[in-house]
Amino acid sequence: MPKFNFLIFLIISLSSFLLSSQSQSTNKLFNDVIQKKAKNFKKETNFNKAQDYFIKKNWDSTLIYSLKQINSSKNKELADYCHFFRGCGHIKLKLYKEARTELHLISKKFIYYPLVNKNLGQISLELKEFEKAIYYFKEVEKLPITNNQGYKISIIYENLGICYLHLNQFPKAEEYLFKSLQIQEKEKEKDPVSLISLYMDIANLYYVQYKDAQAIPYFKKAYTLSKKVKDFDKKRDASKNMAVVEENRGNFKKALIYRKESEQWKDSLNNQNKVWALADYEKKYAVAQKQKQISVLKVANKLKDTQRNTMFFSTLGLLLLLVGGVYVYGQKVKNAKIILTQKEKLDELNATKDQLFSIVSHDLRSSVNALKTSNTKLTYSLETKNYSELDQLLHQNSAIANGAYSLLDNLLHWALLQTKQLYFSKDSVHLHSIVQQIEHNYKPLLHDKSIAFENAVSKNSFIFVDLDSLKIVLRNLLDNAIKFSPENSKISFYTLETNSNFCQLVIQDYGLGMSQNTINELLEDNELLAKKSNSEIIGTGLGMQLCKQMIKKNSGTFAIESELNKGTKMILSFPKTEQNG
Amino acid sequence: MDNINVLIIEDTPEQSDALSNVLLANKYNIVGVARNYTDALTLFYQNPVDIIVIDVFLNEKPDGITFAETINIVPNASKPFVFLTSSQDRQIFERAKLTKPFSFLMKPFNELEILYALEMAVEKFYEQTNVFLSEDQDTVISNDYMFIKKKNALKKVSLQDILYIEVEDRYCNIITEKEKFVILISLTKISALLDKNKFTRTHRNYIVNTDKIEEIILADNLIILKGGHKVNLSYSYKDFIKKMNILS
Repeated sequence: MPKFNFLIFLIISLSSFLLSSQSQSTNKLFNDVIQKKAKNFKKETNFNKAQDYFIKKNWDSTLIYSLKQINSSKNKELADYCHFFRGCGHIKLKLYKEARTELHLISKKFIYYPLVNKNLGQISLELKEFEKAIYYFKEVEKLPITNNQGYKISIIYENLGICYLHLNQFPKAEEYLFKSLQIQEKEKEKDPVSLISLYMDIANLYYVQYKDAQAIPYFKKAYTLSKKVKDFDKKRDASKNMAVVEENRGNFKKALIYRKESEQWKDSLNNQNKVWALADYEKKYAVAQKQKQISVLKVANKLKDTQRNTMFFSTLGLLLLLVGGVYVYGQKVKNAKIILTQKEKLDELNATKDQLFSIVSHDLRSSVNALKTSNTKLTYSLETKNYSELDQLLHQNSAIANGAYSLLDNLLHWALLQTKQLYFSKDSVHLHSIVQQIEHNYKPLLHDKSIAFENAVSKNSFIFVDLDSLKIVLRNLLDNAIKFSPENSKISFYTLETNSNFCQLVIQDYGLGMSQNTINELLEDNELLAKKSNSEIIGTGLGMQLCKQMIKKNSGTFAIESELNKGTKMILSFPKTEQNG
Repeated sequence: MDNINVLIIEDTPEQSDALSNVLLANKYNIVGVARNYTDALTLFYQNPVDIIVIDVFLNEKPDGITFAETINIVPNASKPFVFLTSSQDRQIFERAKLTKPFSFLMKPFNELEILYALEMAVEKFYEQTNVFLSEDQDTVISNDYMFIKKKNALKKVSLQDILYIEVEDRYCNIITEKEKFVILISLTKISALLDKNKFTRTHRNYIVNTDKIEEIILADNLIILKGGHKVNLSYSYKDFIKKMNILS
């Protein structure tokens, strides 16, 4: 039986320690100091936060920010504070071993090292390493009573007492507990809770030594004092102790009353716990309700968002459609305009072509007709053996054939050019030789009209053109020159050395010449053919058209200088062959 | 100087006759007139040909182009050629153009045009353009021949026949065993075009055909060539003798 009691007492004394340590945590003096420190180190935000959370007893956050502070800053003083915060935090979270290592990291120079010792002592006590605890508490006790550490010496004494009690060193335990009692009773503002635990400790001290007579008054003191406080734990412990005491004394009735009282406190404690739990549950429920509401609102918001988005996109789509429609319509109008102009141009061109065909067919017909009549004459002359006329008729025939051939040739080339089927290949060409070759074909014609021909083209000019188109151009121009020249005049081809990249070729005759209007008409960049104003001399205009296009294709230029009845200068320029050695 | 050998490939007798007459009148040799593709190949391989005149259409088929393609494929067999055509069909031209070097002449043509076309064909084939019609050169040099323009027509001289060349200003005197004549070409051009292993400078003004050397008299600085021609040897060009020793 006594053994069983002893077990109960042990538990009681330990719980008393816990209470005392809790009351200890509100160390105002220390809190003021760290707040001042935080003001001094405003820039150390981590330290500020750590100390703030420390004061507010938000231990988890304290641990986090103090660790950040330790890692980020090298300030040793602040590091000591932080280690201290971490130590305290770990103690509160009952991680005693971590707390101990944290506290050991604090340098001995730390101003509040006694507090560290005190905490170390508490840790040792908690881990039931009583001798170590005594060492630490003695370290604290050595200091003078009036220091600025902000802890109560009475608690140190009490803890020392408890330690000795556990080590069964009763005289020493008694000494310290009474020291604590003396101090606590002297205080103006007595802390009844700690006083009760102190009374109970003392009572336990005596009771363990079977000094019942000394123990019982203290139990009673604790009991009567417990009636004045609201702490259910203390009330229950006090009444339970009384019950155990009465039970041991054999006074079972009283024991039963105390026991019941104890049970009652226990119940009320439980009730209180239940009420708290209920409140807690209600709170949780309310929070859950609110959460639900929030989620409903969120969903509603989302719905609104999506609605707004669809609205936005649909308007955007409609707008795009509208713009697209307008654009397409504009394009259509534009296209219609283009098509209209193209149609006009096509009509015009078609008219030109029709005109051309009518002229060409007329010319060809008259040529062939002339040939026919000439041939009839020829046959007749042969029959009548009029040989003197034969030569003249044959010459006439060949002239007509030549004219028709050149017309056909032009027509063919024009058609090829129009249908883009003309083979075109630029090459280096010796201009002098080509002029000579062209002249060779016109020798009979020149001879007939007694026109002197002069080829004064430089023998060193090589031009880079398509040979056949050049021949067509020169043939036509020479043909024209002969056509418009009177008998016994002169036609000359010569080059002008002007600039380095182009060779200028001039075809000069001393013939009919033409007015500026005619020149302009000829050079006008339309594909219409010149009207036939003088049907006998002026041709289809096809030759001129062809010349212009061929020259353009050979990247050359074409100019005319003319005076009526004095003569004409046709000035062509072609790119020279690039000399490379 | 020899006449140029021309092979005519033309299926229309009137046209080939007209062409033959023009060429003969200008001192060209006609080695043959082929009427079709097979004849053309036989004539081409049986005769020494310098230039070929090819009608694109033989019996309405573009066999002329086929012929050009055939001789183009055989290495070193090809000769300068001119296409004759009366068609300006673009497709035919695109095909004919692939037989490089490509030159063509549109029908109908006059005497001057065909002569010009032949000269152009030779120039293009031996890649020495703007020679015959310029005023400072009249000779194209191939591996075997010199093609020289004399008046309107071309002539040729086998390089093997040349003994030595005497350079005089812008002219060169060509001395062969049989004759002596003047061509218009600059020294730098002629030395670049002649085979260095065969023709060597022996003097500032002399280029000698080494095959024709009979004796070198160093004491007198003289080279005796076939036929007893004597050429000066100047000190600065003596190095070529070393090469000769190695060869003999």
